[in-house]
Amino acid sequence: MSSSAISDDEGELYNGFGSSPISRNQMRTTKRWSFHNNTRPLMDLPVDANTGGKPRRLSDITGEDGVHKTLNPYSEWGGAQLYSTESGRLFHAGKIIIALAGLPGRGKTHLSVSLTRYLRWLGVKTHSFHLGDYRRATAEDNNLTHDLFVPTPSSKQAHAVREKAVNECLNDILNFFKADKGQVAIYDAVNAIPEFRLELHKKFTELNIQVLFIESLVTDDKIIQKNIEEAARLSPDYTNWDYEKAKKDYSERINALAPYYQPMGTEESQLSYIKFVNFGERIELHNSSYGYLINKVVFYLMNSRIKSGSVFFARCYKNTMDYASDPPLDAEGIQYAKNLTLTLVEHLKYCGKDYIGEGSILRPAELKRELSVDERQPPTGVDGVDKDSLVIWTSVKKRTIATTQFFTKRNIKVRHRIQLSQKNPGIVGSMSESEIEEKYPEFYQQYEQDPYHYRFPRAESYHDLAIKIEPLILEMERMSGDILIIADETILQVFYGYLMSCSCYEIPSLNFKEDEIIEIKFNAYSNSAERIKIKDFANTLNVK
Amino acid sequence: MPVYSISHVENVRVCVVMVGLPARGKSLISQKIVRYLSWLSIKSKCFNVGNYRRQIATMPIEVDAKFFDPNNEEGLKYRQQAIDLAIDDMMRWFSDEQGVVGILDATNSTRARRETILKLCRENYIEPMFLESFCDDQDLVLQNILDVKTTSPDYVSKPQDYAMKDFLQRIEYYNQIYEPMDAVTDSELTFIKLVNVNSQIILNRIESYLESRIVYYVMNLHIKPRCIWLSRHGESEFNVTGQIGGDSNLSTRGWRYAKKLPELVLKSLGPDAQHTNLTVWTSTLKRTQQTASFLPYKKKLQWKALDELDAGECDGMTYEEIEQKFPEDFKARDDDKYEYRYRGGESYRDIVIRLEPIIMELERQENILIITHQAVLRCLYAYFMNVPQHESPWMSIPLHTLIKLEPRAYSTLVSRIKADIPAVSTYKEKGTSQLGESVEGMSSKSRDLISASAES
Repeated sequence: MSSSAISDDEGELYNGFGSSPISRNQMRTTKRWSFHNNTRPLMDLPVDANTGGKPRRLSDITGEDGVHKTLNPYSEWGGAQLYSTESGRLFHAGKIIIALAGLPGRGKTHLSVSLTRYLRWLGVKTHSFHLGDYRRATAEDNNLTHDLFVPTPSSKQAHAVREKAVNECLNDILNFFKADKGQVAIYDAVNAIPEFRLELHKKFTELNIQVLFIESLVTDDKIIQKNIEEAARLSPDYTNWDYEKAKKDYSERINALAPYYQPMGTEESQLSYIKFVNFGERIELHNSSYGYLINKVVFYLMNSRIKSGSVFFARCYKNTMDYASDPPLDAEGIQYAKNLTLTLVEHLKYCGKDYIGEGSILRPAELKRELSVDERQPPTGVDGVDKDSLVIWTSVKKRTIATTQFFTKRNIKVRHRIQLSQKNPGIVGSMSESEIEEKYPEFYQQYEQDPYHYRFPRAESYHDLAIKIEPLILEMERMSGDILIIADETILQVFYGYLMSCSCYEIPSLNFKEDEIIEIKFNAYSNSAERIKIKDFANTLNVK
Repeated sequence: MPVYSISHVENVRVCVVMVGLPARGKSLISQKIVRYLSWLSIKSKCFNVGNYRRQIATMPIEVDAKFFDPNNEEGLKYRQQAIDLAIDDMMRWFSDEQGVVGILDATNSTRARRETILKLCRENYIEPMFLESFCDDQDLVLQNILDVKTTSPDYVSKPQDYAMKDFLQRIEYYNQIYEPMDAVTDSELTFIKLVNVNSQIILNRIESYLESRIVYYVMNLHIKPRCIWLSRHGESEFNVTGQIGGDSNLSTRGWRYAKKLPELVLKSLGPDAQHTNLTVWTSTLKRTQQTASFLPYKKKLQWKALDELDAGECDGMTYEEIEQKFPEDFKARDDDKYEYRYRGGESYRDIVIRLEPIIMELERQENILIITHQAVLRCLYAYFMNVPQHESPWMSIPLHTLIKLEPRAYSTLVSRIKADIPAVSTYKEKGTSQLGESVEGMSSKSRDLISASAES
């Protein structure tokens, strides 16, 4: 490790949340240690110097979604990282623990998973630590009594389990910072009382790790009810449970904890915290020094919604055409466009989404709004506010626009975005890999080593694409309805990479077939992907 | 030309209603938002009620603090007239000129006033977004009054201490009737409350991506003094042969410029700031990196987003060749240079879209030196100087010149240092394929919404 890397690392520590000096409210200690000295114990717990101890507890369910995977400390980079230091951390952003607070059923897990996804995408080494995973592993016979959840359990045994789970989880967090070069740890726990939160703040601040709390508060019973139902179906706490029983147990758990819970307030005026009310309806920021990362987090929180719609991906037909020219779609392509439209409409209907009628969309969102000046109305002209809606995004190329024509005829909104044009191949144009290898062996070798970041002369890299489409990713997060993206494979790879939290080494080798639509479904714990075969409605494509 | 619809704007229209006592930086925030959105081609305009009041020509009474006394009926009458004029103008602008984001810059300090505006917006399918700047830190307020208000048109030819005293009295009158926004009473409204310059922020019911972009932008603003230096790369081999695009090396004269650049930067910093540490941003093309290669600063970052406009099929051609080979395209580009997209390439508008993250970073950063290309520089310059779209692609930004921008509260100061190293002109006027400035010297048109900048 070079000396400049060390000084970069120290610089990050000094710079705290952002490029501005640490806020006056942050307690600073003079005691700092080099994070390159791996033998130095952190806090009072021993740390395995080589690997960061035993593998962390992970709560992945499907294995498809990479958001829960352990990051490789030295080589994993997210899709859209702007810049980093040699230590692999984001330039000028320091180490941050985002500690959640809030009763069960307040969507904390959803919040931590989706934030992890977004931050990883920005190239920030982020990991969620769900206390629930540790509790399940610690509790005897997996017996999760309500006593285990309250801040001051009545039984000694429950108290011991609680202590053990918390310590193990925090220890893993420290290992993550220390051995894995992590930058943001998200601590998903109830953190019910000021005493716990102040203690957490003190512990991490002493280690020069910034502490930001995000408190999820819900005043809308409908949201809580929905979350209870989702937890009963999907939470690992209720694996193999009867749905009704699980629902009842989860409600009881919330009720057992509720009397103990104290919202963040005056006692904690020195802490940096964000109150996140009813999933983004209101966001209150207290005492943050608003650096790059935290501003990004807030921007994300403003746009993040609990989504009910899906994201669909489809390729435009024949997209291996020359980049520079812009040829129109041919007859086969038009038939493909027709098949794509009919397949998707049929699929939506099959899923019980019947907002598209025979000829066109049933009720365009604008028509649903009745004028009243005395009450709040859903905003006019905003795409995807309604969960029963479909919006198509495509590039500005003639062939992708032509691919959307049958959707346009059905009155479905189509948005053309320059950012969705395929990756510029530069001098290699439409050459195949073997042609490139032959003609530009040197470039090819470099490309082979890092296909995600390497740019052929005059070309864009995948990384360039990822930075370009970042605004679209937030727009997509905000929409609650369905969305179909028709674009070149390179663009789809990058979007998929975000939604399924792929590492940048996986993205260039993701494969999208021309005769399939990919559907990404959202859920609190992990996203899932399904392939839908595009049907041939004219029997004209059965040539091969 | 392909069909084009502006990304990041759906069909939503937003009225940003500023709220807060005088001297809370409302006008500054309003102006910045207008600058940012206009640059992104989102049609926006600020309606400052103070300006409307000053335009009421028939006003027979003197405007001092007493004018703003809530019990001064005559004052109230004129103030009401001013706000009505501003609102009428804004509504006309929304309907007749297809405005997208209108900003009503006034104190809007009472609930009754806000309610009126709210209803009017709803009637017209415009989304109202209240933006309150709340400040109880007296030092901040006094600083702001000193910086800006004592030079206000209301205090022309008045001594500064009179202006300060009178203005404080005016604030006090407003304070008597001020009803700040809060999360309980105003829970149904879309609003942003900034407390003591971003030390606390409340965001309530932000319901469109456009609104969230405005909020994110406001959160990234800072008021620390800093400078931005802009330079084109040194003269390149392609510049010499008159070809566009490409990734050529610097010419001999270009290398001379690169060697001289460190000295120019020091000169521009001035004797007191020789040790200022700059961050250098370049594009990924050789000519900008070569130009930066002698700069002593440690932090040098390459951005793909700073690469020159992609001329697609015309890359590597001279303007004469383009005129011969694609006469229609050549003319189309001259007719609308901002929108014209090269075959398989980009338009100026496309550059602005890819520069947006750069602008956000620039707002957050401090001292930066950017070495980039003609078209990109025009777009960056247009942002800081509020140059309208039909002018920015035609600005002359010569080679071998270092431009320094100093963003101030209401305008940006510009100074240019010429390196005194000859270079070809890459400036092309409308209707010709020949390069070179015209005799009359189409100097770069830079202007600002508030005041013309001091250009040296």
